[in-house]
Amino acid sequence: MSFLPTQSLILAGFLFSIGLATVLVKRNLFFVLMGVELMLNAANLSFIAWSRTFSGPVGLDGQVAPLFSIAVAAAEACVGLAMLLSVFRSKETLDTDRFDRMKE
Amino acid sequence: MLFWPVVAVSLAGAAGAVFARNLVYAALSLGACLTGLAGLYLFLQAEYIAVVQMIVYVGGILILILFGVMFSRDVLGRSTPPSLGAKILGGLAASAVLVSAGRLAWIISNLPGTGLAATRSPTQTWEGQIASHSQNHLGELLLNGWLAPFLVVAMLLTVVLVAALGLVRKDAT
Repeated sequence: MSFLPTQSLILAGFLFSIGLATVLVKRNLFFVLMGVELMLNAANLSFIAWSRTFSGPVGLDGQVAPLFSIAVAAAEACVGLAMLLSVFRSKETLDTDRFDRMKE
Repeated sequence: MLFWPVVAVSLAGAAGAVFARNLVYAALSLGACLTGLAGLYLFLQAEYIAVVQMIVYVGGILILILFGVMFSRDVLGRSTPPSLGAKILGGLAASAVLVSAGRLAWIISNLPGTGLAATRSPTQTWEGQIASHSQNHLGELLLNGWLAPFLVVAMLLTVVLVAALGLVRKDAT
């Protein structure tokens, strides 16, 4: 149990990759939003893993940063979902490939 | 000994969120992933973050996503399946990130003085670590060194509240 941070960092890498693959591959806007949440969580996890490796006040700084990250993630999910619902109402679809009005 | 099940729940939840066909199942397995991560934060002695994670992510963001999924009538997540090129590109990018993140973690954790070597020493016990790593300092830190970001985030949340209301108003479009 003494090398928890290393495993947590590896898990964070996996979570970030999964989130990135979701954002790149999936076409439903909800999946894209969830992929972004996964990536944010991976960043939080690596922050906390590193804060665990340093003791003292420096280590605690690594626990303050995820607090802000979580607050910003909440804001992002709120505005993201509002935009998603607004877009869905005007285009009746959530397929990212159909949102190409700016290409024309 | 509970560490590995928690890691497994997080990873399986993340994988389920990606590979599930039904959007509701995907959102629920995202919830499993977020809950597993909260448990992991307990192992890493970030108890306060674990509680915040449960309240804000599982209790707030996840419910919001589920609400949006139910609201959108497109619960099955029907859309054109991703093309082969997109799959290959996504897989390549994700593996590149994974490899470089692993490499970076390996390099940094082998540097002398970063503390990973120090945490490998088996002198500390669970209870001693929790007692020494007081969460009271977190509040002090938040109101001293991090006061300006704290206020900015407070304002951001207010702005976001108003913006979200404005975006979903009936006559907004």
